Amino acid sequence: MSADQTAASFIENAPPGELAEVINDIGSLLDLDKLSIQEKVAPAVEKYNKEQFVTTKLPGGSDLVIVSSYNDLGDGRFFDSESSSSFAYDHSTQKASDVQSHPIDGEHAGTIKTLLRDVGNHVKEHFPSLPAYGVYPTDEGIAILIVGNKYSPSNYWNGRWRSTYIYKPSTSTLTGTIAVDVHYYEDGNVRLVTQKRVNENLRSSTASGIATAIGNVEKKYQEELNKAFGALSEGAFKSLRRQLPVTRQKMDWQKASAYKIGQDIGGGSRR
Amino acid sequence: MTDPFDSALDLLRRLNPKHITKNLNALIGLVPDLTEDLLSSVDQPLQISKCKKSGREYLLCDYNRDGDSYRSPWSNEFDPPLSDGTVPSEKVRKMEIAANQAFDVYRELYYEGGVSSVYFWNLDDGFAGVVLLKKSSAATSKNTGTWDSIHVFEALDRPRQAHYKLTSTVILNMENTSDVIGTMDLSGNMTRQIEADLPVEDDNSHIVNIGRLVEDMELKMRNLLQEVYFGKAKDVVNDLRSVSNLTEVNRERAAHSDVMSAMLRR
Repeated sequence: MSADQTAASFIENAPPGELAEVINDIGSLLDLDKLSIQEKVAPAVEKYNKEQFVTTKLPGGSDLVIVSSYNDLGDGRFFDSESSSSFAYDHSTQKASDVQSHPIDGEHAGTIKTLLRDVGNHVKEHFPSLPAYGVYPTDEGIAILIVGNKYSPSNYWNGRWRSTYIYKPSTSTLTGTIAVDVHYYEDGNVRLVTQKRVNENLRSSTASGIATAIGNVEKKYQEELNKAFGALSEGAFKSLRRQLPVTRQKMDWQKASAYKIGQDIGGGSRR
Repeated sequence: MTDPFDSALDLLRRLNPKHITKNLNALIGLVPDLTEDLLSSVDQPLQISKCKKSGREYLLCDYNRDGDSYRSPWSNEFDPPLSDGTVPSEKVRKMEIAANQAFDVYRELYYEGGVSSVYFWNLDDGFAGVVLLKKSSAATSKNTGTWDSIHVFEALDRPRQAHYKLTSTVILNMENTSDVIGTMDLSGNMTRQIEADLPVEDDNSHIVNIGRLVEDMELKMRNLLQEVYFGKAKDVVNDLRSVSNLTEVNRERAAHSDVMSAMLRR
């Protein structure tokens, strides 16, 4: 792997909210100053930002807007349906500027408008921390993106929830993925990475029907994920190492040299 | 300018720990000068090999490696064979044999399977060693996991006692795959250190002291891993998204605080 490819693979791996630290580390390893390293990793950072639905505030705005491949206009510009505007985005400073009018038109304009309201309500009710959402026209239909981030670097953890849905009017389906990424790094490095594919036949193709389907899919997934933590704890984790031997007593190390391997010791041998 | 070694360690603390070996190799490719320092200070999942002489499995790490060969704790021989491979002194090797027997019992009591290996080496003022344990859950289950324990210690001679320094790392990788879950990967490593002065009567005291230190440490770390993997990680998921409607949650919170303040006023 070339140095550029290695740097790009590290950036792709960066945990939520820690991209700047990862770039600093790579810069120090390659002995490059801040500007040179930013220039070197710019393509990887742009890819990371769009994949991770990085959020920003428009000048004068208070809501977070998403930067993604779904609202990419090219030449470093993106659009926001909610405010009917387009903006320039600097991937290295993470700042938006040069806002211009960008009305949403086309056959889905009406649905997009009502989806913004209904998906917005769903996001307000379920994403308490740094929420953002976007609804954008695509070739096949309408893309609906939701992201929620929570950063707590002083407590050594960060997390991100990303939902991506494509509503296809021709088949009345909702397809996409839900992805969760959590990093915990006090005295260690622990990472939760999940991905769930969504494939729903819609009962109602109205905006409120789509928002309801999203709510149901996410609720079901979150409940299953919560159960899966318990299943891993009670299943795989317990089977790896016991908390105490079967005898409920710690090992007698004084007798250790007297133990003969394979004999019935304490809880007995299973071999 | 930050020290490149510190930057490498910081990076490995941030990148997905599931890919530690791949990331470590990529880092070494990027900065070859750091190869030795990184290989001796970054713990990776342990590889298993089979001792040609005893037929028993043993674990490979940087501490039983000499060039491209690894020493078996059961036979004390290197594979591929080395005529001048570094082995412990006779006295320390005797303790190493006893420690391997004791930790084999320990492994069976706590892991009910898996592989253990203990390697000792001489120091000017004592000796040092590493206790390794590895267990993988059955591959048939949708819930799979691997546990690697790496306990590196020093035992420094003092009058009638020894000063022990223990650095323990557990690498715990788990995966849950199903239709309802999709893929769920929960992987990582945690490290803890302790120091202790403990009485020493004879060489056997060292096995007892190290055994107890490692046993206590593993109990603590198992509890810590349980808390972080199944408590903290789950809490963060539910901080990112609320199952209940936030309007209701906030209403309940407000009602609860009303009750609390009413009770406090009494």
